[in-house]
This record gives sequence, C-alpha cells and structure tokens, in this order.
Amino acid sequence: MRRVAVVGAGMTAFGEHFGLGIKELLPMAVSEMAASVDKGMDRADIQAAWFGELTTTDGFPSGILADSCGLLDIPVTRVENACATGNDAVRNATYAVGSGMVDVALVVGADKVRESSARGTFWEWAGLTRDMAWDYPLGLVAPANFALHVARYLHESPATREHMAMVAVKNHRHAVPNPKAQLRFEITVQQVLDAPRVVEPFGLYDCTPQSDGAAALLLVAEDVADRYTDRPVWVRGVGLGLDRVMHQHKQDMTTFPPTVKASRAAYAMAGIGPEDVDVAEVHDCFTGVELISYEDLGFAERFGAYKLIEDGVTAVGGARPVNPSGGLKAKGHPPGATGVAQCVELFEQLRGEAANQVDGARVALAHNIGGPTAVSAVTVLSSDRG
Amino acid sequence: MTTIAAMGTYLPAWGTDRVRVAGPDEDAVTLAVSAGRAALRAADPALVRRVVLVTRDLPLLEGGNGAAVLAGLGLALDVAVTEQVGGAPAVLDALVDAVPGTLVLAADLVPAGAAAALVAVEGDAGVTLAGRVVRSLPVRARAQDGVLHDYDDPRLVRDRGVGVAVDALDLPAKPDVVAGVPARQAAALCAGRPPALPTTGAGSALFALAAVAGLAPRSLVLAVEQGSATAVTLDGEPAVVRDEPDPRPEPAATRTPGPEISISLPAYERAFEPKLRWEAGRCRACGTPAFPPRLRCLGCGSEDGWDAAALPRTGEVYSAVTVHVPVPGLPTPYSLAIVALDGVGVRALVKVTGAPAGTAGIGDRGRLVLRRVAVRSGVPDYGYAFLPDAACVPETEQREAGR
Repeated sequence: MRRVAVVGAGMTAFGEHFGLGIKELLPMAVSEMAASVDKGMDRADIQAAWFGELTTTDGFPSGILADSCGLLDIPVTRVENACATGNDAVRNATYAVGSGMVDVALVVGADKVRESSARGTFWEWAGLTRDMAWDYPLGLVAPANFALHVARYLHESPATREHMAMVAVKNHRHAVPNPKAQLRFEITVQQVLDAPRVVEPFGLYDCTPQSDGAAALLLVAEDVADRYTDRPVWVRGVGLGLDRVMHQHKQDMTTFPPTVKASRAAYAMAGIGPEDVDVAEVHDCFTGVELISYEDLGFAERFGAYKLIEDGVTAVGGARPVNPSGGLKAKGHPPGATGVAQCVELFEQLRGEAANQVDGARVALAHNIGGPTAVSAVTVLSSDRG
Repeated sequence: MTTIAAMGTYLPAWGTDRVRVAGPDEDAVTLAVSAGRAALRAADPALVRRVVLVTRDLPLLEGGNGAAVLAGLGLALDVAVTEQVGGAPAVLDALVDAVPGTLVLAADLVPAGAAAALVAVEGDAGVTLAGRVVRSLPVRARAQDGVLHDYDDPRLVRDRGVGVAVDALDLPAKPDVVAGVPARQAAALCAGRPPALPTTGAGSALFALAAVAGLAPRSLVLAVEQGSATAVTLDGEPAVVRDEPDPRPEPAATRTPGPEISISLPAYERAFEPKLRWEAGRCRACGTPAFPPRLRCLGCGSEDGWDAAALPRTGEVYSAVTVHVPVPGLPTPYSLAIVALDGVGVRALVKVTGAPAGTAGIGDRGRLVLRRVAVRSGVPDYGYAFLPDAACVPETEQREAGR
C-alpha cells in the first residue's frame, strides 16, 4: 500500500448556521481547504471524493457535494457510519489512495443539525439509530444512550461527576483561542455541577451543543505529495470497530469495545502504541465519554481515567493533551463533519499552526464513537512519514 | 349460580387513599391486565377460555384492545375477547351470565383501579342474580366524540335514578355494599356501614364483591349506574389476590407538545407477541435466549430459528438514567433502566414505572409489568416497564426503614 499524505485542510466555523445551508457550508469548507494547500491546487486534480454526512439535507448527499463544489466530473461516494462518519470517510479515501486507484482524493464531512425545529430534531435523530419497535418509543434521547454507559461507569470506577465536570472545564478552556469553536467561553466545575440536568448523570455542560458545519481534507499519494507541499501530514493508521447495536446486548457498559477495536487496528497499521500519541482529538460528545475513551484508547489503565483529568495530563501543557480544539464539547458537533474536523485540527497541530498549539506534537490521534455506541473510527496522523 | 374460582384487584401507586390516579403509562388495558394477572395467581390460567373486558375507557374504539389483553395476560390467541362498554351493573350482568372459563375484567380510569373475577366449574364462592333494572337517566353522557356532558344534579340521580331503580328491584334486604356511587350515597342505601370502594365505574362492582368476601356467609351486592341497577347475592368466600400498593402523590410531569411520534406498523406487528408476552427467542440449536428475538443466535450464530420462551418478570438494575429535558410527546422526567433479568443472562432496556423518576438505582430489584410505553400516531404502544420493589413497600415500612 502506498503512503497517504494530508496536504490541505479546512473547515467552516461550527455553530448554529441558521443563515447558511449545506450548499453554502460545503463550498466554504472545500475552498478553505484548497487555500491551505501550500503550493496551491487545481480543483481538476481531484479524482474522487468521499462525503461523510449522517443526515440528508436539501437532497441526496453525493450529488449535493458534487453540485455545490463544482465536482461534477468525478465519482463522489457518501459515507454514513453514525457519529464515526467523519473518520470513516478519511479511512475510505485512505484506502483508495493507498491502493493506487486514486492519486488525489477529497474528503468532506458536513451536517446541519439545526435545520429542523428543536422539537422535531429529537425524534428524527432517534429514528436514525434505534430499533423502531423496541427502543424508539422509550424516549431514548441521544444523551440517554451515553448516560446509560456513564452511569454504570461511575458506579464501577472511582470517577465522579466532578471528574466529568473537569473534562468540560478543560475543553471549554481549550476552545477559547479556536476561532472555529462554537462555545468560546470558560466555565467552572461548580457551573457544570449546578447546570440544569439534561439526562442524569449529565447536566447541560456535560453535553455537546447542536451544531452545523463542514470540514474538508485533501488526501494525496506519496508520489505526488511534493506537488502540493513540503510539509505533509501522513495518514499512518486507520481503523474501524463495531459492537452490538442494542444496549441490552452489550456485555460491559463501562467500556466501548468499538473504540478498542478501531484503535488497535489503527495503532497496528501505524506501527505505534498509545504511549506514542502526543495529542488526540477524542469523541467527547458527553464528558464521561471522554473519560471512558482514555481507557479504551489505551491512554489510561482500566478505571484510571480520573487520574489523567485530575493531574492535568490531558490539558494543553500536560503530557498528552486531548481535544486542544475544544472537542465536540466546545468546538461543536455536526456529526458528519466532526471526524473530518478533528483531522483538520490535528493537521494544523502536526504542522505547528494550530490556534491552541501543543508543543512538539509529532503523532496525533482522532477518534469517533457513535451509533450511538456501536461504531468507532480512529485515525492516526503523524508528521513522520513512518 | 355462577362459581367464582379467583379474584384479583389492582390499584395504581399514584393518588391518595380515596382517589387513585392512573400513571402516564397506564390505560384501561394495562389496569385490567394487572388485575387479571393478580387473579390468575390464585387460579390456573389454562382455565381461561373467554375474556370479557368491561370499561367505559376503552383505549381504542377501532383497532382493537383484545390482543393486548390476551398477550398481557399470557393467554392463547384463540381465547375469545369481548370488549364491552359498561359500568358497574354491566359487570355483574356479565358475571352472572358467564360460562365457566370466563375471566371478567373491569377497569376504571377516574378514579383509577381494576378488578378481575374468574368464573369456573369449581370455586369457593358463587354469585346469583337478585334483580336487574335497565332505565335511562343520562346525567353523564359521552358520545363517540369523547366529549363529556355532565348534567350535574346529584339529587336528581339519587331520587329518580338510583332511588327508583333500587325500589324497582324490590330487594329482600338492604344491600351490604353498593358499587357505582360515592361512599356517602352508598352508606345511605345500606343497612350497616358498607366498605369503601376505590372506584365508581365498572371496576367498583368487582371491588364490591372482593370487599365483602368473607365478611358473612352470604352478602347482597348492589351495583348502580345512573338509572340502572343490578343486584347479586354472593355466597362463600372467593380467593382474592390484591395488587394494591400504598398510594403516593403523583409526581409533577412536564408535557411537551410536538410532532406525532411515528410508528412502523410492520415493525409493530413483528414485535407484538414477544414484546407484550415478555418472551425471548430461544435458539433451536444451542438454547441461548435472545431478547428481542432475532434470526441469528447471539451465542452460537445459528440461523435455524428460535422458539418463544417466557422471560423472568423479576430482575436487578444494571444501569439507570433519568431524562429531564423536555421530550415532545412524552411526559418528563422519566427514568430508563437496563435490567438484568433473574437467572437467564438476558438484559432488557425499559422505562421505570410506579416510582418517581430518578429513584431507581443500580442494584435495585423489581418486577416487569405491562405498561403503555407511548402512544404513537394514535396507536397505544404497549411493552414492559420496571416496577422497583421499593415502590411497592407500604409507606409505614418505608418510614421505618428510613429511620
């Protein structure tokens, strides 16, 4: 397999873009990506595109991407893998470039969560992920899917709601310098604990906001990378993992087996271990999920995640910063865009250009969990060719 | 004489001693099923060949309630179900005319409660018709549009309704208990102080029989409704199983309007039997139970099919959360729990019922009961909910335990 390089990355700001449709957000992200390519790019160079979009906005996704971005003469494939959509789109494009079939591939992720009424959104999104007869009518709102895991995790591990709050505080602080982040303000542990309850054990500040946004990456083969930049970021590993879909069938809800599987695959492909990761963008749709993911990704021992957040290990300035962008928690979470945007952040981190730069970062990891907890995608990027 | 083999009663956990309130997940079907299951704890369910459900609160006028009643009671698909609109006299009429093998269910929503009586060849009690009069005085009227018209003249009902009806019956003595009227009116009609009944509709007739059971070798039971009345004598003492938790105030709930919750009727139909009968699919190759049932076995991967297998109705909470955000179409807050069912290695994801949201925690024990999980596009969607054991402990014991 050929080495695959990321040579361009761009994204819209994440937020409630009531004034912008998907047909605006997509070209904005793609054009920003194109502008980021050091030596410039010709849109005609793009040979194929993979588009991660969880829902469908304004028509069938592949066509909307091709049409709105002037890409009518290349194949476009829509990728949908729940909240792991973004990093799975990266994985599919990596396979295409690595295989030799495509030299220049576009990866785009986008979603418009705020396109339907706040009341309508709940049942629409629940319908995407739940068994229609058995689980859907229970009112398993998105936070509840994760809360069922985190409630058990809090029961079995020494972690507390205060540790969860510390995750929110950290990620809000990280988002402040990030111009693309949705929630650019600092909060305190007490504010998190006192916030209105959403789904216990989650309060409002334990939850990601609802976001619109788009992000784009340009993936090219090693052979052509120097046409675009002298400072490429390498896709070193990709992985995808699955689990039983229904919560009733998950044996141990204190862990997400898809993350364990996806990260193992990505580490093996990259030839590294979790100890080699300098900076990570981890799927913190809810604070407790970041803690569990520390363990699933191998950053902490089982039930040891609380120590990392307590000791500041995962804050920028610590030994292994997690979510320097602000994460889903504060940067925002348009599901299809999220994984791609994580890679946009890590592209900048590995080139030393990030708004909230982690000093000397050479190996980076992006992680999604979704479905709601039945699929994970992990991407390992590095400034080292490997 | 009609022989009664067993009786059961059910009262929701909400409300006060005087007036019980149906939970947001209860309707006449779930109330009746709870009472029926209580009765069938004292009798062999295989005896039941016919079910008569009497209520003025049928959940569906079209679409049918019978299948849900049978599934909830665990009765076979070929048991006949009669859905009858009626009040207290209609229940005694159904009872005295019932053939052996008939389970009479009677349910009321306001005040809420339900009771059941199984008619059989053998039993410790019997009822005999003592008199019946059918007259019209519709001081309360409700037509197909569901709108209630209340004439609101209690003295008219007392004099020209109940009064004339009771005179027409020409009973040999004053009744020992009266169903269908408020307690004070009942007392005025009886010789002594009659037992208080929890409801005044269809269910009250069976609550009346259960209330006097064992008080005397023979009792005279009167059921009235507006201008009509039926009286029966009860001989002997039927076995009565009561599912009547101490009442507690109904928790405040927020109701959020929103779009209708959609339903897929093919998915509804496929799930209906295992979902309402509380059955797993047991793999024909290795015996591993899957819930919900599925083609490919969770244990051995066989796709040779499965047979329905009853699931335990008791278990322990593995994880639980409470939803506080407003959810269109569902009263909030509510709790969801993953419950490990006893002894089968099966977990179920269910709502918590009968306890205030947020009070069921990991490790708590309880039982699974039929409830109306949601109403989707006009269709009641029944399934099971977790009723914590703590919710059923009488209040006095709870207070002592708390000390």
